[in-house]
Amino acid sequence: MIGPRVQRLFAGSGTALRKRLRALGRAARCAALALVAALAAAPAQATQLTSISAGFSPLRLGSPTALSLGFDVRTPDGSLPSALTGISFHYPADLGIGTSGLGLATCAPAKLSFAGPQACPTNSIMGRGSALAKFQVSPEVSEETASIALVAGPPQHGYLKLLISATGSYPVQARIVMSTLLLPGQLQISVPLVPGLPEGPDVAVVRVKATIGGNLTYYERAHGKRVPYRPQGILLPKRCPRGGFHFHANFSFLDGSHTRSQTVVRCPRG
Amino acid sequence: MKALLRCALAAIALSLATQPAAALATHTTSVRDEGSLHFLSDEATLIVDEGPLSGTLPGRGRVYFTYNGSPNVTARFTIRADGGNVYGAAKCRLNNPNSPTPSFRGALVIVGGSGRYAHARGSGELFGVFHRRGYGLVVQAIGRLRY
Repeated sequence: MIGPRVQRLFAGSGTALRKRLRALGRAARCAALALVAALAAAPAQATQLTSISAGFSPLRLGSPTALSLGFDVRTPDGSLPSALTGISFHYPADLGIGTSGLGLATCAPAKLSFAGPQACPTNSIMGRGSALAKFQVSPEVSEETASIALVAGPPQHGYLKLLISATGSYPVQARIVMSTLLLPGQLQISVPLVPGLPEGPDVAVVRVKATIGGNLTYYERAHGKRVPYRPQGILLPKRCPRGGFHFHANFSFLDGSHTRSQTVVRCPRG
Repeated sequence: MKALLRCALAAIALSLATQPAAALATHTTSVRDEGSLHFLSDEATLIVDEGPLSGTLPGRGRVYFTYNGSPNVTARFTIRADGGNVYGAAKCRLNNPNSPTPSFRGALVIVGGSGRYAHARGSGELFGVFHRRGYGLVVQAIGRLRY
């Protein structure tokens, strides 16, 4: 069955038909161009695959704990991922990070950047971790591990500030320092670009694992002496949220792509 | 008869209007209470502290202090004084969060009570210091109390 619009197109003399077909061709070309333009303007498709991990140690409701957060970045074909430019990490807002007793001193970002976490006050260290970065050494992909330190920085607008330093020593000796405010339930981190070899792509961070709290030693003065103690750590609520503790993260990459990953820490039994 | 009834009602209304408000809240006093409170329990972002209070309303105080990392902290409190309890709440701003002993300050309201303070109302300011190491609180409440 031919529709009325098609019937109208084929109606009339041969010359009229050719004119109509030409007009239709122009319309099709315009539509194709518009489609190409729209595809070019659309956000880039995710070429990176991401996953996040989270955990409490110990996982005991109502007790102080250490919070471990991590992420992995990879590509479907195993090639070098695009450089990470930002992460927005979301965690349950009722975790007692403000009441953790962590970060009782501050370290200046410039000091941390220049001399590393060992130059910062002991009571400013809030956690530790490690990272794995990859970079292109044509045609090979080389990798480097970095140690991560989570350090309390000078507060901003009344919020605790977390400085994240990543120090790599081999094959490239480098340190980058990132900062984020400890907003209730949220960490927003801008990741600076680390240039790879000349003409090559930027270094890609592919794995990070860090723990806030944990095995830390702080010092306090008691009766005129400097006494070591272990800081309390993050206080877990006495009741587990419905469905567990939910975490999610949004990742941004240099190629303009974005990904979102989530994970849940299940409620302990009993 | 109607005129007599109207007259009686008017007399009662007049007597009620001119009667001193003895049965209503009549006491208004300036309050200044302070104390060092020790940690009692916690619920992640909520710290519960209790301890002796000295000042205009001596007794014991219990504070439910909430700090989730935001500089806007809240404190609900109970003052157990001679003759009854006074209940209140405060919204404060915490300064120097990285300090071992950040201070906070904000407006407080008295929202009620029990016993002789059953109809307590009032307002004022709450000052305090939060000990991040041991979760103790040092608090000072200054305000006006009506009961």
